[in-house]
Parts: sequence; structure tokens; C-alpha cells
Amino acid sequence: MTSKAKTWALVLAVCAGLWLVRNGSQDVTPPIPSAAEAFAAGPNAYTEAAADPLPPSDPVRLRIPGIGVDAPVTGLGLTGDGALEVPPAADGNLAGWFREGTAPGAAGTAITAGHVDNAEGPAVFYALGALRKGDRIEVDREDGRTAVFTVDAVEVYEAEGFPDEKVYGPSERAELRVITCGGGFSARTGYRGNVVAFGHLIGVRGGPGGA
Amino acid sequence: MRTTARLLTGSALVVASIGLGAQASYAGDTGSLEIHPRTVAPGDSVTVSTRACGKDGRGVGDAGSLGAGEFKLRPGTHKDFAVGEFTVPGHTRSGTYGISVLCKNGEEATGDVTVRGHHTPSGHVKTGVGGSVGPDTTQIAAGAAVLSAAAVGGVLLLRRRASGTQGG
Repeated sequence: MTSKAKTWALVLAVCAGLWLVRNGSQDVTPPIPSAAEAFAAGPNAYTEAAADPLPPSDPVRLRIPGIGVDAPVTGLGLTGDGALEVPPAADGNLAGWFREGTAPGAAGTAITAGHVDNAEGPAVFYALGALRKGDRIEVDREDGRTAVFTVDAVEVYEAEGFPDEKVYGPSERAELRVITCGGGFSARTGYRGNVVAFGHLIGVRGGPGGA
Repeated sequence: MRTTARLLTGSALVVASIGLGAQASYAGDTGSLEIHPRTVAPGDSVTVSTRACGKDGRGVGDAGSLGAGEFKLRPGTHKDFAVGEFTVPGHTRSGTYGISVLCKNGEEATGDVTVRGHHTPSGHVKTGVGGSVGPDTTQIAAGAAVLSAAAVGGVLLLRRRASGTQGG
């Protein structure tokens, strides 16, 4: 009887081992936002009111405590074909900000972007797809203020038919976009699109010369 | 004489605006600054006009918030308006900036102008090369460990069975 139990234990162990090897052999990709985090799923039960916009001031650091992001911010321009530049890939922990556009915290749409990964592995916005509605995004600015945003939605877009107006379009309140690659990966064509987190300003900490 | 006249006109206006406070604010002209266009790009010129300075009024505008400094307002073609112009510096960042005008009659007028960059990005952003995509080596290692343990266990079990058969 004990011998039979041992045989069963062995069979189970072999099955578990095979499953682990097989499952582990499948490619792990960055987290993909769930449908519940999209605009289409409706707003959060409780959405914090928009704070009054700040005067413009360049961002210096971006933090997303919920997914462990804490990175310096560099300025980004446009590429020859009008796309947003990306930060240098060699530095995995670096976010970029579209410096010809709105400053984070000022009225309008501030655009930030960073790598999901580089050749070495996961980079600054690897976990952006795991962000949830209501999470906080904080941006330290040159004027000493910290602009605090809440996440309104996290969406995924295919590269084809990217919704420029929705992502880059103007806004009367102070809004933020955080963009990284995502939406599935193929070894031949790379990432299929982008994960975009949408947020709006809900508060300000600190101030010029203040605490 | 002229100055006196203007001063008197100014005082009269002030008195009028105090006396008819409700009406003045209803009219909404005094104190407000008309800005054209309201949304501009760096390098564009912006025209500012106001009734606050009175008929044939003059004033000084302050566009220091966006780095354009001071500019003068003179009576426009419509004599009720003082009109001025400034240029948004090419390096101005996108945002909403407050513009104020101080009239010679002591009145002030304020308004906002929104600066938007010439270009906004378009299309998707190439922010990844797939360096994080790959097999889960930890899981594979765990699986391999479980398999080898099972193999060892299997060998032991078979040996015991074999010796058991011999003994019985």
C-alpha cells in the first residue's frame, strides 16, 4: 500500500515538474492592462476632483509608487517623421518628457514616455500595464513643487491607428500621459503597440521656497 | 490742460464705475482684457485690447509671465479701446499665462493667453526592444529540480522493490 502511494507521489511529481518546465518555457511578456482599467469600463467609483493647474515648470523626477517607479526625467523632442523621441535605451531607469509641450501640472496634456525594456531586460515602465485606476503618479518639478496625478485609465493601442488626438490632444485641466511599449510582442515585428496611462492633476505638494 | 482733462475724465470714470458698480460689472468691459488669438504658438504675435483705459486711453502691458516683457497700449481705431501687441518668445513652453495691463488712469485689466507648441507628436512610440521577453528561467529550474528529485525517488523505489522481491 505504501509502495502504491509512493508511486502516485512520483507520478504527481513528474507531472508537476513537466508542467513547470513547459510553462516556464513560454515567453513572459510585460503585464497587459485588464479591460477594467480602460475608459470603456467606466470611471472609478470615486474619482478625485481636478486641482487647479500650476504655472509651467520642467519636470525632474517621476514616481509611480504602486509599481515601484522612481526615475529621473529627461527632455524629448520629435523624430523626423513626427513621432515622439524616446529616452536613450542604455539607461533603463530613465523617463522622458515632451519638452515642447505642456509641463506636468500645467494646464494641458503633459506627455511622458519611457522604455518597457531594453536589451538587458525590464526597464523603467515595465510594469505600467499593471497600473490601476486611482493609482498615484507624482512628478517633481524644477520649481520645487510636486504635481500629484490620479490614474483615470490605462489603455492599450495597436501601432496602426494610434489615437493621436486622445493621447496627445489638448486639455483644459492639467493632465498627464505615461506611454510605453506593449500590447503583445513578436520576435519579428517587436511590440505591437503602446500601453498608455491617462491621469489628471489632483493635488500639489511643496512650492517655490515653501515646504 | 489735456492731462487735467484726462485726469478728470479718469476720475469721472472711476466715480461712475463706483456709482454704477453693478452696471459696470454687468457690462464686463472694464477690467477685462481682450486677447487675440487666445491660443498661440511660440513666435506668434498677440493683440491685446481693453476698454479699461478709457476713451483715448493709454497703458502699459506686462507679458513678463511668458518672457515677453512690457509693451505699450495706445488708442486703437476704435477710440474706446487701448490696443497693444507683443510677441510670444520662440522658447516659450506650452501653458496658460496671465497678461496684465496697467492703464494711465490707474485701471487694471487682466486676461489669459494659452501657448501651445507648434508640434505635437503623432503615432505610436518605440519604447521597447523585447529584452524583457523570454522564458521564465526560475520556473524551468524549479521544474527541472522537481523532475530530478522524482527520478532519484523512482530509482530508490525500484531498488527497494527489487530487494523486497529477493527477500520474499
